[in-house]
Amino acid sequence: MYADSHLVVTRTHEPAGLCFAGEIDSSNARAVADFLSNGLAGTDDIHLDMSGLSFCDVSGIRSLIEVAESREQGRLLLHGLPNLLQEVLIATGWANLPHLVVVS
Amino acid sequence: MSTTDIHHADQFRHEALFYANEDQFLGGTVPFIRGGVRAGEPVLVVESAAKIGMLRAALGHDAGAVLFADMAGVGANPARIIPAWQDFVNHHQGATRLRGIGEPIWKERTPDELIECQRHESLLNVAFGRGRPWSLLCPYDTETLDAAVIDEARRSHEFVTDGSQAQSSDLFRGLDASGAPFDVPLPERGTALARIRFGAPDLAAVRNLVANQAEAAGLGAMRAAELAIAVNEIATNSIHHGGGRGILTIWLEPSAVICEIGDHGHFDRALVDRERPGKSVAAPRGLWLANQLCDLVQIRSLRDGTVVRLHKRRGTPQGVN
Repeated sequence: MYADSHLVVTRTHEPAGLCFAGEIDSSNARAVADFLSNGLAGTDDIHLDMSGLSFCDVSGIRSLIEVAESREQGRLLLHGLPNLLQEVLIATGWANLPHLVVVS
Repeated sequence: MSTTDIHHADQFRHEALFYANEDQFLGGTVPFIRGGVRAGEPVLVVESAAKIGMLRAALGHDAGAVLFADMAGVGANPARIIPAWQDFVNHHQGATRLRGIGEPIWKERTPDELIECQRHESLLNVAFGRGRPWSLLCPYDTETLDAAVIDEARRSHEFVTDGSQAQSSDLFRGLDASGAPFDVPLPERGTALARIRFGAPDLAAVRNLVANQAEAAGLGAMRAAELAIAVNEIATNSIHHGGGRGILTIWLEPSAVICEIGDHGHFDRALVDRERPGKSVAAPRGLWLANQLCDLVQIRSLRDGTVVRLHKRRGTPQGVN
Protein backbone atom coordinates (compact mmCIF):
# COMPACT_ATOMS: atom_id res chain seq x y z
CA MET A 1 0.00 0.00 0.00
CA TYR A 2 2.81 2.34 0.93
CA ALA A 3 6.53 1.83 0.62
CA ASP A 4 9.65 3.98 0.65
CA SER A 5 13.27 3.17 1.42
CA HIS A 6 12.63 3.18 5.21
CA LEU A 7 9.03 2.08 5.65
CA VAL A 8 6.48 -0.42 4.34
CA VAL A 9 2.79 -0.20 5.24
CA THR A 10 0.46 -3.08 4.39
CA ARG A 11 -3.25 -3.65 4.92
CA THR A 12 -4.48 -6.01 7.62
CA HIS A 13 -7.89 -7.67 7.75
CA GLU A 14 -8.40 -9.07 11.24
CA PRO A 15 -8.73 -6.47 12.66
CA ALA A 16 -9.16 -4.16 9.68
CA GLY A 17 -6.27 -1.75 9.59
CA LEU A 18 -2.66 -1.21 8.65
CA CYS A 19 0.65 -2.81 9.57
CA PHE A 20 3.81 -0.64 9.81
CA ALA A 21 7.30 -2.02 9.33
CA GLY A 22 10.41 0.17 9.34
CA GLU A 23 11.15 3.73 10.33
CA ILE A 24 9.40 7.11 10.21
CA ASP A 25 11.47 10.29 10.45
CA SER A 26 11.36 13.76 8.95
CA SER A 27 12.29 12.35 5.54
CA ASN A 28 9.01 10.44 5.16
CA ALA A 29 6.65 11.75 7.86
CA ARG A 30 4.87 14.07 5.42
CA ALA A 31 4.42 11.32 2.83
CA VAL A 32 3.10 8.92 5.49
CA ALA A 33 0.60 11.55 6.68
CA ASP A 34 -0.60 12.16 3.11
CA PHE A 35 -0.95 8.44 2.52
CA LEU A 36 -2.92 7.93 5.73
CA SER A 37 -5.19 10.94 5.13
CA ASN A 38 -6.13 9.60 1.73
CA GLY A 39 -6.40 5.99 2.75
CA LEU A 40 -8.31 6.20 6.02
CA ALA A 41 -11.83 7.04 4.87
CA GLY A 42 -14.83 6.11 6.95
CA THR A 43 -15.73 6.68 10.56
CA ASP A 44 -14.69 3.42 12.22
CA ASP A 45 -11.79 3.00 14.59
CA ILE A 46 -8.71 1.97 12.64
CA HIS A 47 -6.21 -0.51 14.03
CA LEU A 48 -2.53 0.11 13.37
CA ASP A 49 -0.08 -2.70 14.04
CA MET A 50 3.05 -0.81 15.16
CA SER A 51 5.06 -3.79 16.41
CA GLY A 52 7.37 -3.57 13.39
CA LEU A 53 7.95 0.16 13.70
CA SER A 54 11.57 0.24 14.79
CA PHE A 55 11.85 4.03 14.88
CA CYS A 56 9.48 7.00 14.88
CA ASP A 57 10.63 10.56 15.53
CA VAL A 58 8.63 13.53 16.80
CA SER A 59 7.60 14.53 13.27
CA GLY A 60 6.30 11.00 12.66
CA ILE A 61 4.22 11.01 15.83
CA ARG A 62 2.99 14.48 14.90
CA SER A 63 1.83 13.13 11.53
CA LEU A 64 -0.12 10.31 13.17
CA ILE A 65 -1.78 12.76 15.56
CA GLU A 66 -2.69 15.18 12.78
CA VAL A 67 -4.27 12.37 10.77
CA ALA A 68 -6.13 11.08 13.83
CA GLU A 69 -7.45 14.53 14.71
CA SER A 70 -8.50 15.31 11.14
CA ARG A 71 -10.90 12.38 11.01
CA GLU A 72 -14.49 13.32 11.74
CA GLN A 73 -15.08 10.21 13.78
CA GLY A 74 -13.21 7.08 14.79
CA ARG A 75 -9.85 6.78 16.48
CA LEU A 76 -6.45 5.45 15.53
CA LEU A 77 -5.64 2.50 17.81
CA LEU A 78 -1.92 1.69 18.07
CA HIS A 79 -1.22 -1.99 18.77
CA GLY A 80 2.16 -3.36 19.79
CA LEU A 81 3.84 0.03 20.01
CA PRO A 82 7.45 -0.67 21.11
CA ASN A 83 8.22 0.37 24.71
CA LEU A 84 10.68 3.04 23.65
CA LEU A 85 8.07 4.76 21.49
CA GLN A 86 5.58 4.61 24.35
CA GLU A 87 8.21 6.31 26.48
CA VAL A 88 8.61 9.01 23.83
CA LEU A 89 4.83 9.59 23.72
CA ILE A 90 4.80 10.12 27.49
CA ALA A 91 7.89 12.36 27.48
CA THR A 92 6.49 14.60 24.75
CA GLY A 93 3.16 15.04 26.54
CA TRP A 94 1.37 13.03 23.87
CA ALA A 95 0.14 10.14 25.99
CA ASN A 96 -3.62 9.97 26.63
CA LEU A 97 -4.78 11.68 23.45
CA PRO A 98 -8.47 11.17 22.63
CA HIS A 99 -7.98 10.28 18.96
CA LEU A 100 -4.69 8.36 19.14
CA VAL A 101 -4.88 5.51 21.61
CA VAL A 102 -2.09 3.14 22.66
CA VAL A 103 -3.55 -0.34 23.12
CA SER A 104 -1.51 -2.37 25.58
CA MET B 1 12.97 34.62 58.01
CA SER B 2 13.51 38.23 58.95
CA THR B 3 14.13 39.21 55.39
CA THR B 4 10.88 40.53 53.98
CA ASP B 5 11.90 44.07 54.84
CA ILE B 6 14.35 44.16 51.96
CA HIS B 7 12.05 42.49 49.52
CA HIS B 8 8.94 43.40 47.63
CA ALA B 9 6.44 40.74 48.61
CA ASP B 10 4.82 40.70 45.19
CA GLN B 11 7.88 39.36 43.34
CA PHE B 12 9.80 36.15 42.84
CA ARG B 13 12.55 35.93 45.44
CA HIS B 14 15.62 33.86 44.60
CA GLU B 15 17.95 33.49 47.55
CA ALA B 16 21.15 31.50 48.16
CA LEU B 17 21.72 30.09 51.64
CA PHE B 18 25.38 29.47 52.47
CA TYR B 19 25.89 26.84 55.16
CA ALA B 20 28.99 25.18 56.53
CA ASN B 21 27.42 22.51 58.71
CA GLU B 22 24.18 20.77 59.59
CA ASP B 23 23.21 23.34 62.22
CA GLN B 24 23.55 26.20 59.76
CA PHE B 25 21.63 24.23 57.13
CA LEU B 26 18.74 23.55 59.49
CA GLY B 27 18.96 27.05 60.97
CA GLY B 28 18.43 28.54 57.52
CA THR B 29 15.86 26.12 56.13
CA VAL B 30 13.62 25.09 59.03
CA PRO B 31 12.32 28.59 59.93
CA PHE B 32 11.78 29.29 56.20
CA ILE B 33 9.74 26.08 55.79
CA ARG B 34 7.87 26.55 59.05
CA GLY B 35 7.01 30.16 58.17
CA GLY B 36 5.45 28.93 54.95
CA VAL B 37 3.53 26.11 56.60
CA ARG B 38 2.14 28.36 59.31
CA ALA B 39 1.10 30.97 56.71
CA GLY B 40 -0.73 28.28 54.77
CA GLU B 41 1.63 28.55 51.81
CA PRO B 42 2.39 25.49 49.67
CA VAL B 43 5.99 24.41 50.33
CA LEU B 44 8.08 22.09 48.13
CA VAL B 45 11.53 20.92 49.20
CA VAL B 46 13.77 19.33 46.53
CA GLU B 47 16.78 17.93 48.36
CA SER B 48 18.87 14.78 48.74
CA ALA B 49 17.22 11.87 50.53
CA ALA B 50 19.59 12.42 53.46
CA LYS B 51 18.66 16.08 53.84
CA ILE B 52 14.95 15.29 53.47
CA GLY B 53 15.30 12.87 56.36
CA MET B 54 17.11 15.52 58.39
CA LEU B 55 14.42 18.11 57.67
CA ARG B 56 11.55 15.76 58.47
CA ALA B 57 13.07 15.04 61.85
CA ALA B 58 13.65 18.72 62.59
CA LEU B 59 10.21 19.80 61.40
CA GLY B 60 8.31 17.18 63.37
CA HIS B 61 4.57 17.67 62.96
CA ASP B 62 5.01 20.48 60.40
CA ALA B 63 6.66 18.06 57.94
CA GLY B 64 3.22 16.66 57.15
CA ALA B 65 2.28 19.88 55.36
CA VAL B 66 5.44 19.96 53.21
CA LEU B 67 5.96 18.39 49.78
CA PHE B 68 9.32 16.66 49.39
CA ALA B 69 11.05 15.50 46.21
CA ASP B 70 14.42 13.82 45.74
CA MET B 71 16.87 16.06 43.88
CA ALA B 72 18.71 12.91 42.69
CA GLY B 73 15.67 12.13 40.57
CA VAL B 74 14.30 15.57 39.72
CA GLY B 75 17.67 17.19 39.10
CA ALA B 76 19.83 14.39 37.69
CA ASN B 77 19.58 16.43 34.51
CA PRO B 78 19.42 20.00 35.86
CA ALA B 79 17.33 21.13 32.88
CA ARG B 80 14.42 19.18 34.36
CA ILE B 81 14.32 21.25 37.55
CA ILE B 82 12.70 24.42 36.17
CA PRO B 83 9.77 22.43 34.70
CA ALA B 84 9.29 20.80 38.13
CA TRP B 85 9.11 24.22 39.80
CA GLN B 86 6.80 25.39 37.03
CA ASP B 87 4.50 22.44 37.74
CA PHE B 88 4.54 23.28 41.45
CA VAL B 89 3.62 26.92 40.82
CA ASN B 90 0.97 26.04 38.23
CA HIS B 91 -0.55 23.37 40.44
CA HIS B 92 -1.24 25.93 43.19
CA GLN B 93 -2.99 28.58 41.15
CA GLY B 94 -5.02 29.75 44.14
CA ALA B 95 -2.07 30.36 46.44
CA THR B 96 -0.95 33.97 46.75
CA ARG B 97 2.55 32.91 47.85
CA LEU B 98 4.57 29.71 47.68
CA ARG B 99 7.92 28.58 49.02
CA GLY B 100 10.55 26.23 47.67
CA ILE B 101 13.94 24.89 48.67
CA GLY B 102 16.20 23.46 46.00
CA GLU B 103 19.84 22.38 46.26
CA PRO B 104 20.97 21.46 42.73
CA ILE B 105 24.74 21.66 43.35
CA TRP B 106 26.76 19.21 45.40
CA LYS B 107 30.43 18.34 45.34
CA GLU B 108 30.10 15.14 43.28
CA ARG B 109 28.60 16.98 40.32
CA THR B 110 30.88 16.52 37.28
CA PRO B 111 32.39 19.67 35.74
CA ASP B 112 29.85 19.52 32.89
CA GLU B 113 26.95 19.06 35.29
CA LEU B 114 28.21 21.93 37.43
CA ILE B 115 28.28 24.31 34.46
CA GLU B 116 24.71 23.38 33.59
CA CYS B 117 23.57 23.61 37.22
CA GLN B 118 24.99 27.12 37.38
CA ARG B 119 23.22 27.94 34.14
CA HIS B 120 20.03 26.51 35.65
CA GLU B 121 20.35 28.74 38.72
CA SER B 122 20.64 31.78 36.48
CA LEU B 123 17.76 30.67 34.25
CA LEU B 124 15.46 30.44 37.27
CA ASN B 125 15.48 34.25 37.23
CA VAL B 126 14.40 34.24 33.58
CA ALA B 127 11.72 31.62 34.18
CA PHE B 128 10.14 33.19 37.27
CA GLY B 129 11.54 36.70 37.69
CA ARG B 130 8.59 38.41 36.07
CA GLY B 131 5.92 35.96 37.20
CA ARG B 132 4.00 35.18 40.37
CA PRO B 133 5.40 35.96 43.80
CA TRP B 134 7.11 33.03 45.45
CA SER B 135 10.34 32.39 47.33
CA LEU B 136 13.00 29.89 46.36
CA LEU B 137 15.85 29.24 48.78
CA CYS B 138 18.93 27.46 47.39
CA PRO B 139 21.32 25.98 49.98
CA TYR B 140 25.06 25.88 49.13
CA ASP B 141 27.51 23.83 51.17
CA THR B 142 30.49 26.15 51.66
CA GLU B 143 32.52 23.39 53.30
CA THR B 144 32.64 21.16 50.24
CA LEU B 145 32.09 23.49 47.27
CA ASP B 146 34.82 25.58 45.64
CA ALA B 147 34.94 29.30 46.36
CA ALA B 148 34.28 29.92 42.65
CA VAL B 149 30.98 28.06 42.95
CA ILE B 150 29.96 30.24 45.89
CA ASP B 151 30.96 33.35 43.92
CA GLU B 152 28.78 32.28 41.00
CA ALA B 153 25.86 31.75 43.42
CA ARG B 154 26.25 35.42 44.39
CA ARG B 155 25.83 36.32 40.72
CA SER B 156 22.83 34.05 40.05
CA HIS B 157 20.85 34.94 43.20
CA GLU B 158 19.37 38.33 44.01
CA PHE B 159 19.67 37.62 47.73
CA VAL B 160 22.17 35.71 49.83
CA THR B 161 22.13 34.57 53.42
CA ASP B 162 25.64 34.11 54.76
CA GLY B 163 25.39 33.69 58.48
CA SER B 164 22.05 34.76 59.81
CA GLN B 165 20.96 37.80 57.84
CA ALA B 166 19.72 37.86 54.25
CA GLN B 167 21.13 40.62 52.08
CA SER B 168 20.86 41.79 48.52
CA SER B 169 23.73 40.31 46.54
CA ASP B 170 25.98 43.04 45.17
CA LEU B 171 27.15 40.64 42.47
CA PHE B 172 23.68 39.64 41.21
CA ARG B 173 23.79 39.85 37.41
CA GLY B 174 20.15 40.94 37.12
CA LEU B 175 17.18 39.56 35.26
CA ASP B 176 18.18 40.63 31.78
CA ALA B 177 21.67 39.15 31.94
CA SER B 178 20.45 35.92 33.54
CA GLY B 179 19.61 34.38 30.17
CA ALA B 180 22.97 35.27 28.71
CA PRO B 181 25.34 32.43 29.63
CA PHE B 182 24.24 30.87 26.38
CA ASP B 183 27.31 32.08 24.55
CA VAL B 184 30.19 30.84 26.69
CA PRO B 185 31.88 28.12 24.63
CA LEU B 186 31.84 24.57 25.94
CA PRO B 187 35.11 23.03 27.09
CA GLU B 188 37.30 21.26 24.54
CA ARG B 189 37.17 17.48 24.72
CA GLY B 190 39.71 14.82 23.84
CA THR B 191 40.04 12.80 20.65
CA ALA B 192 36.68 12.04 19.09
CA LEU B 193 35.52 8.49 18.50
CA ALA B 194 33.74 9.54 15.31
CA ARG B 195 32.95 12.71 13.40
CA ILE B 196 30.62 12.84 10.37
CA ARG B 197 28.95 15.51 8.30
CA PHE B 198 25.27 14.88 7.71
CA GLY B 199 22.45 16.22 5.59
CA ALA B 200 18.82 15.31 5.03
CA PRO B 201 19.51 11.89 3.44
CA ASP B 202 21.74 10.80 6.34
CA LEU B 203 19.43 10.74 9.36
CA ALA B 204 19.13 6.96 9.44
CA ALA B 205 22.92 6.65 9.22
CA VAL B 206 23.30 9.17 12.08
CA ARG B 207 20.93 7.14 14.26
CA ASN B 208 22.64 3.87 13.47
CA LEU B 209 26.11 5.26 14.17
CA VAL B 210 25.04 6.65 17.55
CA ALA B 211 23.13 3.54 18.59
CA ASN B 212 25.95 1.21 17.56
CA GLN B 213 28.71 3.22 19.25
CA ALA B 214 26.65 3.69 22.41
CA GLU B 215 25.82 0.03 22.62
CA ALA B 216 29.44 -0.92 22.02
CA ALA B 217 30.30 1.40 24.93
CA GLY B 218 28.09 -0.69 27.17
CA LEU B 219 25.06 1.57 27.43
CA GLY B 220 22.57 -1.23 26.82
CA ALA B 221 20.14 -1.34 23.91
CA MET B 222 17.44 0.79 25.54
CA ARG B 223 19.70 3.64 26.69
CA ALA B 224 21.61 3.56 23.40
CA ALA B 225 18.31 3.89 21.53
CA GLU B 226 17.27 6.80 23.77
CA LEU B 227 20.48 8.61 22.89
CA ALA B 228 19.93 7.90 19.18
CA ILE B 229 16.39 9.32 19.39
CA ALA B 230 17.68 12.50 21.04
CA VAL B 231 20.51 12.91 18.52
CA ASN B 232 18.04 12.35 15.68
CA GLU B 233 15.82 15.19 16.93
CA ILE B 234 18.70 17.64 17.22
CA ALA B 235 20.08 16.61 13.81
CA THR B 236 16.58 17.05 12.36
CA ASN B 237 16.61 20.61 13.75
CA SER B 238 19.92 21.16 11.92
CA ILE B 239 18.36 20.02 8.67
CA HIS B 240 15.21 22.10 8.98
CA HIS B 241 16.36 25.16 10.94
CA GLY B 242 20.16 25.05 11.07
CA GLY B 243 21.25 25.47 7.47
CA GLY B 244 20.28 22.07 6.10
CA ARG B 245 23.20 20.12 7.48
CA GLY B 246 25.47 19.67 10.45
CA ILE B 247 28.38 17.82 11.99
CA LEU B 248 27.99 15.01 14.50
CA THR B 249 30.89 14.28 16.85
CA ILE B 250 30.92 11.38 19.29
CA TRP B 251 33.24 11.15 22.30
CA LEU B 252 33.60 8.13 24.50
CA GLU B 253 34.60 9.20 28.01
CA PRO B 254 34.98 7.02 31.09
CA SER B 255 31.73 8.29 32.58
CA ALA B 256 29.59 9.04 29.53
CA VAL B 257 28.98 8.82 25.81
CA ILE B 258 28.78 12.37 24.46
CA CYS B 259 27.29 13.35 21.10
CA GLU B 260 27.64 16.88 19.76
CA ILE B 261 25.60 18.27 16.89
CA GLY B 262 26.94 21.49 15.36
CA ASP B 263 25.14 23.57 12.73
CA HIS B 264 24.59 27.13 11.51
CA GLY B 265 21.33 27.69 13.37
CA HIS B 266 20.78 30.00 16.29
CA PHE B 267 18.78 29.72 19.50
CA ASP B 268 17.80 33.00 21.10
CA ARG B 269 15.30 31.91 23.76
CA ALA B 270 17.15 31.03 26.93
CA LEU B 271 14.47 28.60 28.11
CA VAL B 272 14.08 26.94 24.72
CA ASP B 273 14.90 23.43 25.99
CA ARG B 274 13.03 23.49 29.31
CA GLU B 275 9.60 24.90 28.58
CA ARG B 276 7.00 22.15 28.68
CA PRO B 277 5.68 21.73 25.11
CA GLY B 278 2.46 23.58 24.41
CA LYS B 279 -0.83 21.86 23.63
CA SER B 280 -0.51 22.60 19.92
CA VAL B 281 0.52 19.53 17.94
CA ALA B 282 2.83 21.73 15.90
CA ALA B 283 4.73 23.03 18.98
CA PRO B 284 8.43 22.04 18.95
CA ARG B 285 9.37 19.07 21.11
CA GLY B 286 12.82 17.94 20.01
CA LEU B 287 14.94 19.78 22.61
CA TRP B 288 12.43 19.01 25.35
CA LEU B 289 12.55 15.32 24.45
CA ALA B 290 16.35 15.36 24.43
CA ASN B 291 16.32 16.62 28.02
CA GLN B 292 13.94 13.83 29.04
CA LEU B 293 16.04 11.12 27.38
CA CYS B 294 19.56 12.33 28.20
CA ASP B 295 21.45 12.85 31.44
CA LEU B 296 22.75 16.25 30.37
CA VAL B 297 22.09 18.55 27.42
CA GLN B 298 24.40 21.49 26.78
CA ILE B 299 23.30 24.14 24.28
CA ARG B 300 25.45 27.03 23.14
CA SER B 301 24.61 29.51 20.41
CA LEU B 302 27.76 31.27 19.27
CA ARG B 303 28.38 33.76 16.48
CA ASP B 304 29.20 31.04 13.96
CA GLY B 305 26.43 28.63 14.87
CA THR B 306 24.95 26.40 17.52
CA VAL B 307 26.27 23.31 19.27
CA VAL B 308 24.20 20.88 21.29
CA ARG B 309 26.02 18.29 23.41
CA LEU B 310 24.04 15.29 24.63
CA HIS B 311 25.45 13.20 27.48
CA LYS B 312 24.36 9.68 28.35
CA ARG B 313 26.05 8.22 31.41
CA ARG B 314 27.76 4.85 31.34
CA GLY B 315 27.13 2.65 34.34
CA THR B 316 24.75 3.42 37.16
CA PRO B 317 23.43 6.95 37.74
CA GLN B 318 25.41 9.04 40.16
CA GLY B 319 23.75 9.63 43.51
CA VAL B 320 23.24 12.78 45.55
CA ASN B 321 25.04 12.97 48.84
